[in-house]
Amino acid sequence: MNIGSIIVLTLIGIGCGIIIYIAYVKIPHKVKGLDKIEEISGALPGMNCGACGFAGCFAYAQELAKNPDIITQSPCSVAMQNPDAVKCLEKSLCISLDAAAMCKKAVIHCGGNSEVIYDYSGAKSCKAAAQLWGGYKKCPYACLGFGDCAKACPQGGIVIDKEKGIAVIDRTQCTGCGLCAAECPQNLIELMPADTKVAFQCNYEPLKNIPGRGKCESGCIHCRKCFNACEYEAIIWNKLKAVPEFDVEKCTLCGKCIEACPQNTLAFATPVAAKCEAAV
Amino acid sequence: MSDLIAIFLGMALINNFILVQFLGLCPFFGVSKKLGNAVSMGLAVTFVMVIASIVTWIITRYVLIPFDVLYMSTVIFILVIASLVQIIEMFIMRTNYALYSAFGIYLALITTNCAVLGVTLINNIQKSYSFPESMAAALGGGIGFTLVLAIMSGIRERLELADTPKSMKGLPVAFMVGMLLALAFSGFGGII
Repeated sequence: MNIGSIIVLTLIGIGCGIIIYIAYVKIPHKVKGLDKIEEISGALPGMNCGACGFAGCFAYAQELAKNPDIITQSPCSVAMQNPDAVKCLEKSLCISLDAAAMCKKAVIHCGGNSEVIYDYSGAKSCKAAAQLWGGYKKCPYACLGFGDCAKACPQGGIVIDKEKGIAVIDRTQCTGCGLCAAECPQNLIELMPADTKVAFQCNYEPLKNIPGRGKCESGCIHCRKCFNACEYEAIIWNKLKAVPEFDVEKCTLCGKCIEACPQNTLAFATPVAAKCEAAV
Repeated sequence: MSDLIAIFLGMALINNFILVQFLGLCPFFGVSKKLGNAVSMGLAVTFVMVIASIVTWIITRYVLIPFDVLYMSTVIFILVIASLVQIIEMFIMRTNYALYSAFGIYLALITTNCAVLGVTLINNIQKSYSFPESMAAALGGGIGFTLVLAIMSGIRERLELADTPKSMKGLPVAFMVGMLLALAFSGFGGII
């Protein structure tokens, strides 16, 4: 073995390292605004989900640096959930943000329990199953439970409840990117404000069809029992869609609407919310 | 002079990096979906090839040959090209941000591109070119690379609209097109 080769390689390696270091220190920063873009992109999640409508987080940061108003038009709901990131964005963009209103998380509008009407043995994909007579469940709006949404979730926050055959979203992990909502062929997933307390687990088709009655054991039958059970006027009855809507401010997480529901359509939006209630 | 032109044309067409020597195949399929991207990738490769040729020629001449360690050329060239690209990227980022965003991710990708390593190895080890000759070879190689990338992306843009069988859509049909292109380029072999 030639000792010269070792020495040459070592010296060239060290030389390259030193030259890169000198270049790093000595090359002047002539570009203005790059620091700002880097500061903004540092506050963004960097997962490049594309939910804001731009080609990745860095492109979003570049646009924000040019025009800070973009953040109100197409907010990054992932960053909005992180108080540090919100503070950082407020500081670098010189605007104040209402993070709570911009922050959204996914809710799935199906509680399972719809009867299976035929054996489906095709491709294990919701999209494929939905093509065949609107799915293998009695309710044509039901969650088919093959987990197209779970595959799309970059956080791994969606699991399939094998017993009920539906997807369950872990809202503590959800970042509100909305990739799952785009994936669902039944349009069951909706992005709702992050502080939503009670989830309505049924995908009604307003006035056209009533899936609750006779099609599913946990579908809404529009009985208004939840509306009447609430002592805090936190439930508003939407007459057009014939479904309850929830006022987050007034809701105290008492759980009476959930108890009153004869169909198990209502549930706490996050397990955390249920835990808080138990602690109180 | 005619020597240099012969080397230039030989590298650009007859011994084309992608279609004849099969170097740099990843950008050939990876970055050939849009004409704009393909051309900027090609230009970035040409630029890095020329600069890498200059530096590696100096290193071969003044380090490798005097110390008699030519057999170490591959590892040393990788080291030198990688740090060179890093420095160039840093320089462009800090002086001309528009150019930096035009190069985008391609400049960093070129760090480990085999076509760049290939041109330096051919210049310095295989053929032992002089300085002007290695410049002509690097320029020719880069321009041939850009040309093939541009042709391929033009064809692939049309292919998107063509009625290809479903199982052949995308990459499979691109492989077929690559084969036909390589066949066409082998025709240049008859020039010299």
